[in-house]
Amino acid sequence: MKQYLKNTWEGIWTVLIGMKITFKHLFVPAVTIQYPDVKVPLPERVRNRLYVNMDDCIGCDQCARACPVSCIEIETVKSLPTEDLGKTSNGKKKALWVTKFNIDFAKCCYCQLCVFPCPTECIYMTDIYEFSEFKREGLLYNFSTLTHEEVLEKKANFEKFQAEKEAQKAAEAKAKAEVAAKTKESENKSDTGSNKSENG
Amino acid sequence: MELYDLIFYFFAIVTVVSAFMVVTSKNIVHAGFNLLFTFFGVAGIYVLLGADFIAVVQLLVYVGGILILLLFGIMLTNKITSVELRTGTAHIIPAVIGVGIFWGALTAIVAFKTDWVEVNTASTESTTIIGLGNLLLTDYVLIFELLGILLLVALIGAASFARREIEELKD
Amino acid sequence: MYDFLVDLIGNEIIAAFISAALPVVFIVPFVIFGVLMERKVAGHMQDRLGPMRVGYHGILQTVADFFKLLQKEDIVADGIDKKFFNFAPYLVFAGSYAVYAALPFSSKYIGADIDLGIFYIIAVSGLVVAGILMAGWTSNNKYSLYGALRSAAQIVSYEIPTALIILSMVMLTGTLSLAEMSEMQTAYFWNWNIFGGAEWSFTKLLLIPFMFAGFLLFYISSLAEVNRTPFDMPEAESELVGGYHTEYSGIKFSMFFLAEYANMFAVSALVSVLFFGGYHSPIGYVGNTLGLEALIPFEQVFWFAAKGIFFVFVQMWLRWTLPRVRVDQLMTICWKYLIPYAFLNLLIIGIITLI
Ligand code: SF4
Ligand code: SF4
Repeated sequence: MKQYLKNTWEGIWTVLIGMKITFKHLFVPAVTIQYPDVKVPLPERVRNRLYVNMDDCIGCDQCARACPVSCIEIETVKSLPTEDLGKTSNGKKKALWVTKFNIDFAKCCYCQLCVFPCPTECIYMTDIYEFSEFKREGLLYNFSTLTHEEVLEKKANFEKFQAEKEAQKAAEAKAKAEVAAKTKESENKSDTGSNKSENG
Repeated sequence: MELYDLIFYFFAIVTVVSAFMVVTSKNIVHAGFNLLFTFFGVAGIYVLLGADFIAVVQLLVYVGGILILLLFGIMLTNKITSVELRTGTAHIIPAVIGVGIFWGALTAIVAFKTDWVEVNTASTESTTIIGLGNLLLTDYVLIFELLGILLLVALIGAASFARREIEELKD
Repeated sequence: MYDFLVDLIGNEIIAAFISAALPVVFIVPFVIFGVLMERKVAGHMQDRLGPMRVGYHGILQTVADFFKLLQKEDIVADGIDKKFFNFAPYLVFAGSYAVYAALPFSSKYIGADIDLGIFYIIAVSGLVVAGILMAGWTSNNKYSLYGALRSAAQIVSYEIPTALIILSMVMLTGTLSLAEMSEMQTAYFWNWNIFGGAEWSFTKLLLIPFMFAGFLLFYISSLAEVNRTPFDMPEAESELVGGYHTEYSGIKFSMFFLAEYANMFAVSALVSVLFFGGYHSPIGYVGNTLGLEALIPFEQVFWFAAKGIFFVFVQMWLRWTLPRVRVDQLMTICWKYLIPYAFLNLLIIGIITLI
């Protein structure tokens, strides 16, 4: 009986204590951060979306090779000797047209491994982390500054240059071959002559 | 058509149709659910007759108590749904004769033996509880108390049944 | 109200339908407000903010949710008992709606001023149980069935202490009519039943502790009757998914929701009528001091709603304070604690009213 009354009393009393606590919390300021309106400051070394500063990129392909998930795709075209691509900010001479520089952020695991090997420090992490898309293709970022026509042009230029070079080479080779043939012929002639003389 | 008639026909149809479904339904749970509407319709008709207390008691005891108990029993019973209820007809002729005689006798008694009182309005008094209460505690007090004792005995019996089973389980 | 409408329209049938539909005018806004309040109270009690984005501080959140629910696809799973499955939500709602017919919102507006008021309310809440059982059984889902059975067992058990306390209040006031009961606790708050009623004698002092006990008992068992925490096992999200309304979606689900919140307000209103003066103001009426008689009914509606909403708030408060009880604990609380205390209370109040 005593236990029974004690249970009753404790039941009521503990509920009242609990209610007091929750009531106090009704007036404790909320800890909620209203996310899209208010943002938590990011830590210093945070890893988010990458950015490539194409002005500095020499197209060395080191970042693509470092990437563990192969989400960087780089294509380059050699520049013509006559063209001057300028220099990077730390004084390296650029020699390649970067015709394609795609990073697929759907694949990227934000490991930052691509950042360190870059000789010109032109690929780096930004502080943008809200870039969701409705389509997966939207996550394929294209950093190359050249337009499609320019790319075609550069390719054509290079091919032409190559072809010219080939042609030149071929011509040179031909000339060489001709010269060689001529000398051979004369040698042959003399040979036959001597043979004749030997025979005659 | 007056409002009163409208309500009466509504309740009458509900009662009759659902009662019919209770009898013909092959699914015992459906029969139980249909019984709910029958009780409800009967309660409505009680209200229209001016017997408000009876109507509420009908709802409280039958819908809130007995029906729930019934459904509970059905739902807690194992394999109840697989039981096929036989609602086919057998021995039509003797059944019709028997029921006919019984029904005829009942109707005759009700029709000829009752003192029918003409009441013009639906109900003159707004409530019946005062009269009922007085009757229950004066003229019918013995029956009332006896019923109370009966229920108490039933309650204690049920409790002791439940208790013994638990003790048996423990052994 | 009905007579007034008959005078206005001149047709009994239309007037009856209109007066029957009137509580909707109260229930729907209340539910919209109640759900928002629930979420806000929950949020702030847990040091959060709750919904914030739809409208100023999220006040339109539930309106948006309501429209969302309306347009949702009405999914009816395969292999269920379609006829009763579709009917159950409406039966549950009808049960809680019928309660509103007897609630006295003010001295001028009460759906049906029947003398059996409170008795009728106990009776029609039985429809809710039947509806819940129907929903649980026809869903053809074991979690739904569990929820329904738990709910029915719980409601049927807790009806006993509720009825006992109501009985003791009926003995005290000598009437079953809610309007009359409210009328007896008129004027100031010391006339409320919880402070021993309007009669000034030494029994009033004697009654006060037992009235408080009665209030506590009634409030606890009413919590169980409307399936609120700590007695929300029928819906126990963490164990039963959603209890008896697991399989429902769209408009039918919102029917259950409406019924639940309507029920919450109904029991709170009942508490306020039984113990806290119903629609009467605790501090007198502005209408009386200004001499504007017409203002009083509106004030009464205000006080009625305010008291109801206060007790709804306490329900929410308890919800975010207490964990859920186990089934055996639930039955222990009811049969071993509430019912004996309720009987004792009944006896003592009976004796006191006799002196
Ligand atoms: S962060 Fe990692 S995964 Fe992403 S591009 Fe760089 S190396 Fe690849
Ligand atoms: S490592 Fe740097 S410079 Fe080299 S391709 Fe990548 S981004 Fe360009």
